[in-house]
Amino acid sequence: MRPDRVWEIARKDMASVRRHKYVLYGLIGIPLIFAIFIPMASIYPVVTSEEPLDNKLPPFAQPGMAPKQAVVTGLANMAVLMFMFLPAAIPSTIASYTFVGEKVNRQLEPLLATPTTDLELLIGKGLGAFVPAMAATFASFAGLVAIVDVLTFPLFGYLLLPNLISAVVLLVYAPLVCLLSVSWSIFISSKVSDVRAAMQLGIVGIAPVLLFYFLFMGGIVSLEWMTLVAFGLVLASASAGLFALSKATFQREEILTKWR
Amino acid sequence: MIKLQGLTRKFNGLVAVDGLTFEVGEGEIFGLLGPNGAGKTTTVRMLCCLIKPTGGKAFVGGYEVGKDALRVREIVGLLPEAPGLYGELSAYRNLEFYAKLYGVPKRRREENIERFLKMLGLWGRRDDPVATFSRGMQQKLAIVRAMVHEPKVLFLDEPTAALAPESAKTVRDFILELKQERRTIFLCTHNLHEAERLCDRVAITNSKLIAIGSPSELEQKFGPSRTEIRLERVSRKIVDAVRRLKHVKGVEVVGDKLMVEVEDPEAANPVIVEAVVKHGGRVRYVARAVHALEETYLRLVRESEA
Repeated sequence: MRPDRVWEIARKDMASVRRHKYVLYGLIGIPLIFAIFIPMASIYPVVTSEEPLDNKLPPFAQPGMAPKQAVVTGLANMAVLMFMFLPAAIPSTIASYTFVGEKVNRQLEPLLATPTTDLELLIGKGLGAFVPAMAATFASFAGLVAIVDVLTFPLFGYLLLPNLISAVVLLVYAPLVCLLSVSWSIFISSKVSDVRAAMQLGIVGIAPVLLFYFLFMGGIVSLEWMTLVAFGLVLASASAGLFALSKATFQREEILTKWR
Repeated sequence: MIKLQGLTRKFNGLVAVDGLTFEVGEGEIFGLLGPNGAGKTTTVRMLCCLIKPTGGKAFVGGYEVGKDALRVREIVGLLPEAPGLYGELSAYRNLEFYAKLYGVPKRRREENIERFLKMLGLWGRRDDPVATFSRGMQQKLAIVRAMVHEPKVLFLDEPTAALAPESAKTVRDFILELKQERRTIFLCTHNLHEAERLCDRVAITNSKLIAIGSPSELEQKFGPSRTEIRLERVSRKIVDAVRRLKHVKGVEVVGDKLMVEVEDPEAANPVIVEAVVKHGGRVRYVARAVHALEETYLRLVRESEA
């Protein structure tokens, strides 16, 4: 594995992505919505409202706190969990352009003729989708933290975010979800020849995240260590499995003879 | 430089390339001719280690195709059927990207990019996005991309397809310059004039190898030999006189020209000219009929399909 070649492939893909305005809008717009809209729409109304009654607390409220703090903490955790959607959604958009787009435009054959290994190509192109998605996720999260802390500091007297859950989400779940999404998109790319179809199918990659989110929102799971570790293991296994599948799919022979 | 030993490729039972065996020497321009579906692109893809042979062996620059794939890909350059450039990036960035993947050092990379872009008249447009280039300019840029790491062997799949005549000539001149540098060039083409003008040797294939040799060898061996005689005026008397000659296999009148099919032009031509003059014809010129390779090719392909 030669890191300089891998990085060059990723750099080229990132440069290409910057010139696709719809991808760029998504890369900037969606993180902005996550950073600004979500806390303003969910946390701000609670912070500025009357103290909620004990017996009317929603299932996601954090136990062992004053009612308003419990609701706000639960909402902040939900907002943090929503940050798994970003590394799931963004790579599918980018990878749809860099894999399916290049396949349709017949740009893969000259690339495959270079003295790079299949794995270098796969990792390079994967990084080209992974790096912008993670950068957008981190930047967006920084915005969320700032807004949530400004809104909630008067209520708590300390900074609510970042907390341990956000560290797990950002540093463990987000990269795994991103890897899962990239791998899934590569697999999809071998099956479809239309960028929009690839993007739509790529969204299926967010299914595990969606499931976990609704389980938490419905109070079926709580954010305890056991739950976090179990979900982490599920994500890691799914990512590893899908990466192995994408590795088997992304081979010169397969791309030139079987990719439709 | 290139050696094929029974090279075969099957796709789900369908034989695309069937036991090709031939060699291409260093510094040679070699043409691979054949109808659509004859396995030309598959052959090139195998030789560039993009797909694996299902039978036989091949060597490029001494490295075995399949086993030494990275080594082979380091010493070959490929111009595929479609240019496949990154339209949103500049011409320079496209070339720089590929040069880096081939591991060309920075200084050499800059020199090569400048040299080859200048040779093909694209240096002035180096910073423009490739999407703004015409089809011909993109094709020329794709040729530069294949050359940017100075490969020993260059595979060109239809290099002048869809090019305007002046661009096609620039590309042909470029290929001839590369030959001067002792590079081996493997050309797939449907353009038989081009093959005749550029190639030292050609192979005619239709999955299997049908014939191999220099264009003139193939014409002599397999093609009809035709002499073109342009006259001031063609008369019935002259045509009949030529037709009666024993060396002549057939005569066709095209405007003010007689197209005479002969077995041995060197023996027949003086006799034909003498007969034309004797029967009142005024000869403007005598030449070997053009498209000789084309006729040879069409005949061989038809026979292989029969």
